[in-house]
Amino acid sequence: MKRRILQGLAAATAGALLLGACSSGGGDAAAAAETLDPDAPVTLTVSVWNLEGTPEFRALFDAYEAAHPNVTIEPVDILADDYPTKLTAMMAGGDTTDVLTMKSVMDYSKFATAGQLADVTDVVEGVPDLAGLDAYDQDGAYYAVPYRQDFWVTFYNKGIFDAVGEEYPSSDLTWDEYVDLAETITEKAAAAGVTPAEGSTTYGTHTHTWRSVVDAIAAAQTGGDQLGSEGYGFLEPYYEHALQLQDAGATLDYSTASTQKISYRTMFTTGQAAMLPMGTWFISALLQAEAAGETDVEWGIAPMPQEKATDEAVTFGAPTAFAVNKNAENVAAARDFAAFAAGEEGARAVAAIGVVPALQSDAITEAYFALEGMPTDEVSQAAFQPGEIVLEMPVGPTTAQVEQILTEEHQNIMTGAVPLDEALATMAERVENEVG
Amino acid sequence: MATTTAARPAPAPRRPTYVNRRQVRRNTLLGWTFILPNFAGFALLTLVPVVATFGLAFTRWNAFGTPEFTGLTNLQRLVGDENFRVALGNTVYYTVGHVPLTMAASLGLALALNRKIRGLAFFRTAAFFPYITSIVAVAVVWNMLYNPTRGPINQLLTTIGISDPPGWTSDPTWAMPAVILTGVWKDMGYYMILFLAGLQTIPPELYEAAKTDGANAWQRFRNVTLPCLRPTTFFVLIMLTIGSFKVFDLIVVMTNGGPGRSTLVLSQLIYREGIVNGQFGYSSAVALALFVLVLVITLLQYARNQRLEK
Repeated sequence: MKRRILQGLAAATAGALLLGACSSGGGDAAAAAETLDPDAPVTLTVSVWNLEGTPEFRALFDAYEAAHPNVTIEPVDILADDYPTKLTAMMAGGDTTDVLTMKSVMDYSKFATAGQLADVTDVVEGVPDLAGLDAYDQDGAYYAVPYRQDFWVTFYNKGIFDAVGEEYPSSDLTWDEYVDLAETITEKAAAAGVTPAEGSTTYGTHTHTWRSVVDAIAAAQTGGDQLGSEGYGFLEPYYEHALQLQDAGATLDYSTASTQKISYRTMFTTGQAAMLPMGTWFISALLQAEAAGETDVEWGIAPMPQEKATDEAVTFGAPTAFAVNKNAENVAAARDFAAFAAGEEGARAVAAIGVVPALQSDAITEAYFALEGMPTDEVSQAAFQPGEIVLEMPVGPTTAQVEQILTEEHQNIMTGAVPLDEALATMAERVENEVG
Repeated sequence: MATTTAARPAPAPRRPTYVNRRQVRRNTLLGWTFILPNFAGFALLTLVPVVATFGLAFTRWNAFGTPEFTGLTNLQRLVGDENFRVALGNTVYYTVGHVPLTMAASLGLALALNRKIRGLAFFRTAAFFPYITSIVAVAVVWNMLYNPTRGPINQLLTTIGISDPPGWTSDPTWAMPAVILTGVWKDMGYYMILFLAGLQTIPPELYEAAKTDGANAWQRFRNVTLPCLRPTTFFVLIMLTIGSFKVFDLIVVMTNGGPGRSTLVLSQLIYREGIVNGQFGYSSAVALALFVLVLVITLLQYARNQRLEK
């Protein structure tokens, strides 16, 4: 008797396992084209990364829910590092999450060309003055609406500049001046005994380990093509500056920074670096850290250094956008959310926490600089309105492969393993031979 | 191992008399239901993907839509792909360094800890600890030890008079040795346990006889320990070789293939081409190559073992 029960149980378990495995395949939810009933309760799902550490999501969701009481937003939180791969797996499996946040333009291009995103051209056309829109143009159609536009500026620590008696960076700093300044500060700080809250050395600047720190700014300011159509000679002066800084000890060396996974945030907030070229997303992180009492660094921003002194600073950046899943359960609500996030109200919500919205208007810039803790000097304001923002990395079918090669050669250059001219030649050669 | 060599029950098993066919069928069914949960999991999560890999290797597929059959294009690309050549070279480099070193270290540890010494349990546990430590923690700590300027290893090397110590994980020449060293340190505890088990099966009489014949310690090791350990050694060799060829996590968290491509290995290339770049067809072709490589080497090792056993 007992055996029979066991036998039945085993068979049932096995059956359930098989059934469970089979049923997970059928996810072709036919998204019914619905009209938006303003009062019907809707649960809108939105894919996000690192919800806790990315306050803009919460700000946008709260603002949207306040404006639309019938809508409840359910974030689908994904580990930031795994975001692109996880999203690919979800899409390939026919997932029905309504709104998909496009973390990078590269991912956007992949999903748009694979036909996974709904056409939102009319939504985009309904919002004037969106920055970074060109990156989303797919033969005249748009499959995502940008709501945030980050670009690179130079952060600086006023306390260190004051301590060594140097003037704050001006709005027309050149690369040569920047390198000199970093070296001078390092020397003076060591001589004056300026010691940071953590670590032992106060560096003049911090060159972070990402290749964009050198490559993307070089491409933006020289017009060079990172996909390598004309070789990589345009990177040479920029790498020379980076290597010069490193050799002079004016920045933490690449080897240490990469093997120890040094965080640029720690370098700056603990006063180990007087300057830091970084994206504007760091502004909201700084404001947040200050509000939480984690740092008391007095900081300001200046435009990125340029080849020649100019008022129209050229920098690089990348937008972030919301897309509507082609298999979305709530298409109408998803489109409405994307329009809201990109529009005036969404822009105000993200600007209120120090995030740069894609929507550009004087009113929003004003509100942005009125934030508590924001530097209000002229140079900071000038840094916030660069002459031109070039897309960080051109998007094309070969982008991922080229990026890999450039990253590997960047490591070879910065660790000093391969001489610069040789590495640049290898870059061009490898892109020529391996990509296609 | 134990199950196959288990002693048979004294009376020869009775031949089943097919009196009660229902009984037989019931027993068969019962047997199947017991292995089904496990087998279903294995089939769905391992067997199907493995078989699918063989098929996908001859297609172009980006995870969306249906794979497009491309014949031998992927294999042709494989032959001309410099990344594949580099990764293959690095994988062989890792294996050639990792396998003998780990075997020597784990055998040495096992011999040292196969005697009655004070604190034996402590030392055995200590040697096994790296194996159960999280790989991420291992990588972070070893990267700190390897730090070219502030790390203890290079500080030690400088104090003993080496003026220009290697850059370890930040130097393309030294990154692979550094990773191998960490791999050996992490794996040796596990294989030490296997060797310890093997050592304990060696009958003490053999050592006594050898001693009586006047064999010294080295001769006893050479002519008693090593031959008696051969089944264990063979098992360890096979497991280590397979493990080394498919090394992935250690490399990813320690160097992520860098600097440059100096530590890029095959399994990482598979991950990169498939999961990151979305080229599942080509990625499967690389996986197929790795599979064939491991299969051939394992078969060679088996053949060699068979010859030695005769």
